Amino acid sequence: MEDQTPSRRQFLAAVGNLASAAWITMNWPQIAFAAEQADHSAHGGHGAAPDAPAKLTTLTAAEAAEIDAITNQIVPGGATPGARDIRVLYFIDNALGSFFAAQLPSFRQGLAEFQNGYAKKSAAGAPFSAAPEAQQIAFLHEVDETPFFQAVRRLTVLGITSMPKYGGNRDGLGTKLLGVIDSHYWEPPFGYYDKDYAGFEPYPGTKIQTA
Amino acid sequence: MDSKTYKTSETVDFIVVGSGSSGGIVARELARAGMSVIVMEQGPRMEPWDFEHDELKYRQLSGITNNPRTNPQTFRRDASQKAVQPSGRNPLTYARIVGGSSAHFNANFWRLHEIDFIEGSRLGGIEGASLVDWPITYAELEPYYTMVEWEVGVSGLAGASPFDPWRSKPYPMPPLPVKSSGVLFERGGRKLGLHPFPAPMAINSVIYKERPPCAQCGLCGGFGCEVKAKSSSVWTVIPEAEATGNCEVRSESYVYRIGMNAAGRATGVHYFDKDRKEQFQNARAVVVCANGAETPKLLLNSATSAFPDGLANSSGKVGRYLMFNKGGGAQARFEHPLNEYKGANVTRIIHDWYDSDPKRGFYGGGGFDARSGGPLTWGQNVPEGTPTWGPGFKEYLESYTYWMNCSGHGTSLAQETNRVDIDPEMKDDWGVPSIRVTYKDHPDDMKHAKWQVERAVEIMDAAGAKQIVPGEIGAASGGVHLLGTCRMGNDPSTSVIDKYHRTHDVKNLFLCDGSSMVTSGRGQPTQTIEALAFRAGDYIARFAKANQI
Repeated sequence: MEDQTPSRRQFLAAVGNLASAAWITMNWPQIAFAAEQADHSAHGGHGAAPDAPAKLTTLTAAEAAEIDAITNQIVPGGATPGARDIRVLYFIDNALGSFFAAQLPSFRQGLAEFQNGYAKKSAAGAPFSAAPEAQQIAFLHEVDETPFFQAVRRLTVLGITSMPKYGGNRDGLGTKLLGVIDSHYWEPPFGYYDKDYAGFEPYPGTKIQTA
Repeated sequence: MDSKTYKTSETVDFIVVGSGSSGGIVARELARAGMSVIVMEQGPRMEPWDFEHDELKYRQLSGITNNPRTNPQTFRRDASQKAVQPSGRNPLTYARIVGGSSAHFNANFWRLHEIDFIEGSRLGGIEGASLVDWPITYAELEPYYTMVEWEVGVSGLAGASPFDPWRSKPYPMPPLPVKSSGVLFERGGRKLGLHPFPAPMAINSVIYKERPPCAQCGLCGGFGCEVKAKSSSVWTVIPEAEATGNCEVRSESYVYRIGMNAAGRATGVHYFDKDRKEQFQNARAVVVCANGAETPKLLLNSATSAFPDGLANSSGKVGRYLMFNKGGGAQARFEHPLNEYKGANVTRIIHDWYDSDPKRGFYGGGGFDARSGGPLTWGQNVPEGTPTWGPGFKEYLESYTYWMNCSGHGTSLAQETNRVDIDPEMKDDWGVPSIRVTYKDHPDDMKHAKWQVERAVEIMDAAGAKQIVPGEIGAASGGVHLLGTCRMGNDPSTSVIDKYHRTHDVKNLFLCDGSSMVTSGRGQPTQTIEALAFRAGDYIARFAKANQI
C-alpha cells in the first residue's frame, strides 16, 4: 500500500501500474478516497501552487493596470469572484511571456490603439484604468468588436478556467465560478437527473446479452 | 521488464510506423507470431502521471498533438487556390505520442453496420462522389470487432439497440454508469419514439485485464487517461507486444522516407532520432499505421525514380478520398445542474437514423450522442443573444453545469478531389515537406449535417430543455477522423491496398489505419480501424510464415 497521503504520482501509479487486479479490487474504495486527497493536496494546485507565477514579468505596471481594468469589466466581481479576484491578469502576463509570446507585439499594438482611442474620448487625460466604472463600460461597448478586446476576452476566459500553475484561477476560484469542483475521482450520481434513474429498460423485440 | 532493443544494423522482420490504434495492434499480433518488430513513433512515451487535467495545454496549445508551429500544414478548398497555413491548429490533427490518437480519443467504439460495406451497390452512384463497396463485408470483419472488444477492452450492453448489427459475443464489461446528459437524452429520445441505448466505450467499467475501472474524472477527449482505464494502445496492446520479447517501441523517432531497392522492395525506413540525427533501420517488411494524414504523406515523400509519384501510387489514389465525419448537433440548458464535467464523455447514443434514407432527398446517415465538454473550451463562445462580457456573460459562465451537448456524427462522402498531398513550399522543423490539404464538403454532407441539427433540437426539446442552441454548420476546414486516403480495393487501378492491406505495388509494404477505409462510417471510426488492424496482423503474420512477403 502506498503512503496514506500519497502524492498524485504515487496515487496514479497505485491505480494504474499495479499488476494485481485482486489488489485493486480489494483496495478500490481506499484508492478512490486517496484520489480525492491526492487531488486536493497536489493535483488541483489550490492555494499558492509552487510554480504559479507570483509576480508580473511581461507587462509593465502601466500596461498591467489597463489590462486588469478591462478584465474586471469582462467578468466583474461582486457577490461571486470576478476576473480580478481570480488573478486573470497574472495568467495573461504569464501567457504573453511564454506560450503566447508570439502574440505580444500585436497585443501591445492593440493596447496602444485602445489607449489612444480612449484618450480621444476622455478630456481628463487619465488612463482607462483610472476612469469611473460607468465610463469604462461605455467605452468598452464602443470597442468590444475589436481584435484587441476579443483577445483580452479570450485570455480572460482562459485565465479563469486554466490550471492555477499558469497564473490565473487563483485558489480554484475560477473553476468554482463555473460550478466545477476540482477532483480527480467521481462516482454516480453525477448530477440532478441521474440521481433517480431507474435503469435501462430494454426495447420490445431485443435480447440483452451479457458476458 | 526491459523491452527488447534492436540495432539499426540488424534487419528486423517488420517495422511498424506508428504506435496508435492500428500500429499497436499490428505490432502485438506480429510479435506474438514470433516476428521481430520495431514500432516507430514520432512522439514521446508518456506515463500516466505525465498527463494532467490541463485543458489549456491539451486542447489549446497542442500539448500532445501535432503542433502547427513545428509540424505545419496548409489548406485550400480546391486545386485552383494556393494553400496557406491556417491560424490555430492544423487542419489534420492527431496525437503525437506513444499510443497515438488512441491515447487522447473520447473512446466511442461503434461497430460499422452491414450496410456500411455495401452502400455503393445498394445506393448507386452519387454525383461528385465515389461511393463504392468495400472489398470485405461485415461478416468478414465481425470476428475482429469481437477481438477488439475482448482483447483491448470495451464496455457496453449488447442487444440493447434494435439497430445494431449481429455479433458473435457480448461485450466483456457492462456499460459505464449513466450521466445526467444520458438520462435526459434517453428521456427525449424515448418520448420521440426513438431507441437510445448505453454507449459502447473503450473504457473499463470494471477491473479488466489488470487495469482499473474509470475514475470518472471527466476529461477523456483530448486527454490521456491518468489511471489507464481508457483502452489506449499505450496501456493495452503495446505492453503486450513488448512482453513477447520480440518488440521494441522506438519513441521520438520520426520516419520520413521508406527505403527501397532496385528490385522494388522496401528495405527499411529513414528516420530522425530523438536528437534529430538521420538514421536508417533495416527491415524485411514495413507496415505503415501512421494515420490517414501521415501515411499518405510518408508514401508521397518516399518517391523514387521507379516510383516518381510516390510509393504504391500507380493508381494515383494515394492521399485522395480524404473523409472526416460531418455532423451537426445542439447545445441545451436545463433547469438543474447536470455536472457534465464529471464522468466519461458519452453514456447514451441513438442509432435510429444510422442508415441513409432516400426519402430525405440526400445521402447521409449517422448517430447521436449525449456528451460533455471541458469548461475552458465551452467558455470561449456564447449563444446568440448572450452578452460576451459584463454581468450577463458572468451569469452565463456560472451556468456551465446546467448545459449538455446533443451531438450528431455522420457520413462524409469520398470525393477524389479531397486529398492530402505535399505542399510545394512548406517544410516542417525537420525539413520534411509538409502536408497540403484540399477539402470541400459534398453538398449532401452539408444537407445531412443541417438535418442532424434539426433532429438534435427535437431531442433536446423533448427532454425538457429550457434553452436550446442549434449548432451552426460551416464548411469543414479539417478534422480528427482522418479517413480514406489509401483506400482498400480489389482493383489496383482504383485503390492503394488489397483486402489484406498489402499495397498493390510493393509486395513487402502494408498499410493499415484510417486511410484504409473505403467509406467514412457514421462518425466513430476507431473500433473499425482496430478491427482492421487485428485482421491485417493476422493475415500479414500468415503471409510471413508462408514466405509470401
